[in-house]
Amino acid sequence: MTPAAPGSLSRYDPAIEEAAAGIAGALRGAYRFSRRAVALLLLQRDDEIERLVRATEGERYPEIARLVEASREHAGDGIDSAITLQRRQRAQELIEGVVYHPNRIEIPLSERLSRLCTSPITGLPVLALVLWFGLYQFVGVFGGGTLVGLLEDGLFGGVINPWVTRLVEGILPWKWLSDLFVGEYGIWTLGVTYAVALIFPIVGTFFLAFSILEDSGYFPRLALLIDRLFKAIGLNGKAVIPIVLGFGCDTMATIVTRILETRRERIIATFLLSLAIPCSAQIGVMTALLAGRPAAFGLWVGIMAGIFLLIGWLTARLLPGESARFAMELPPLRFPSLGNIATKTFARMQWYFLEVFPLFVVASVFIWIGQLTGVFHVLIRGLVPVVHLLGLPDRAAEAFLFGFFRRDYGAAGLFTLDEKHLLTGNQMLVAVVTLTIFLPCIAQFLMMKKERGLKMALAMAGFIFPFAIVVGAALNALLNAAGIRL
Amino acid sequence: MRCSFCALEFTEEDGHKTCGKCALVGGCRMVKCPRCGYEMPQTPSLVKWLQQRVLRKAGAGAAR
Repeated sequence: MTPAAPGSLSRYDPAIEEAAAGIAGALRGAYRFSRRAVALLLLQRDDEIERLVRATEGERYPEIARLVEASREHAGDGIDSAITLQRRQRAQELIEGVVYHPNRIEIPLSERLSRLCTSPITGLPVLALVLWFGLYQFVGVFGGGTLVGLLEDGLFGGVINPWVTRLVEGILPWKWLSDLFVGEYGIWTLGVTYAVALIFPIVGTFFLAFSILEDSGYFPRLALLIDRLFKAIGLNGKAVIPIVLGFGCDTMATIVTRILETRRERIIATFLLSLAIPCSAQIGVMTALLAGRPAAFGLWVGIMAGIFLLIGWLTARLLPGESARFAMELPPLRFPSLGNIATKTFARMQWYFLEVFPLFVVASVFIWIGQLTGVFHVLIRGLVPVVHLLGLPDRAAEAFLFGFFRRDYGAAGLFTLDEKHLLTGNQMLVAVVTLTIFLPCIAQFLMMKKERGLKMALAMAGFIFPFAIVVGAALNALLNAAGIRL
Repeated sequence: MRCSFCALEFTEEDGHKTCGKCALVGGCRMVKCPRCGYEMPQTPSLVKWLQQRVLRKAGAGAAR
């Protein structure tokens, strides 16, 4: 880094200059570069410079750190982006006088594709194609239809489960005990079958599609495409990171909201993650449920996008403050590497399976205890009026009860109803939309409590549950009133 | 490894350091990019073992 010349190459806004001057004045140590440069990097929370200043200033560091925080608050939100953008602008001014552009520039294919992805006119159709082929066809039709059919109906339903059932019933003649393993909600017949035959192929295809998109460099372009849209809901393109990660796991994504610069953005992002972003298994199972019903799939995506934007916009109006600016360098668009795709897909599936498998087994045990004690039936009866409000049959109450535990478990419950043809197309859409908006799973709620505090987490959950029911009921009424049959 | 979002190259150790005070630190098998915060799964042990075997064989082949 070259020292700043007098009448420096870059002058920033007065607020930033004032902050940098104050911090530079407090520094006493000797540095390889100007104290002004050190101060600017401290304002941008550069880890390496923070460690250097801590080592150089010693006992004076806490005072300097307080001064930096106070300066950041005084200078306002988005100071990091402001410094980056202004520096870049100055660099642009400097090179304009000395760089020559030939009349005809050969634009490589990767750059042309990149521009297609980021332009507002072509970017949205590209996104629609990605959703159609990547999500609906690959995950829904192939993963949820073909693969689940082979595993659940063919292998488990036709071969493994009958054999295991005979074996367990032969060893345990007491029905109340054999039900724990091979009953309607048994550890094997429900827990293991759900986890291996249903969730595994769906999540596998989802993570494969996700890894391909990720390795191609599409996600930063998505961030750029929807940056303007996100500003309307109090966020910016950087929020694409937790939102995209939320499609993998909302619990992890809630932690990742820490990367957002302002408290306002973190609250809005956490709320939207718990309200309108389905996790990987949920999105995979929902897509599988709607496979063969493209109109319902389109409506589901449209309704969820609409809710995301509307609630985000309302929340942004309620919470005062401005969105921070977002600037990042786009990495090149590249052909995904098979090795990277295989590694990432395998790693995510391993991580997810190790997390979900024990939980599904535990869920079966709880349901078994609930059935023995009668609590399960009491809870189901309590939910029946709620599902009637949504125009759904009594048995849908089970799926929603499962959904309190984990949303993917609830979605798997809907799968069972669909296999028994207990839901019409309209009912399936209503159930899918309601369960998507439904309460965050226990793990996500605990993370919301940790990151945002108990009051905020309870307030969010307290809004989400009745909102999900209201939206489901309204959707059911609308479909019936319009005479739509999906 | 390379960040799948911003393409920064960093080591897994640097990725784990960025985890800070997260409640899941050490238990989530994810690695966080030090620059943008994007999380990626860490390379599974089986894959690392396979990569080392392939590298050893390639090294042995080159030596011959």
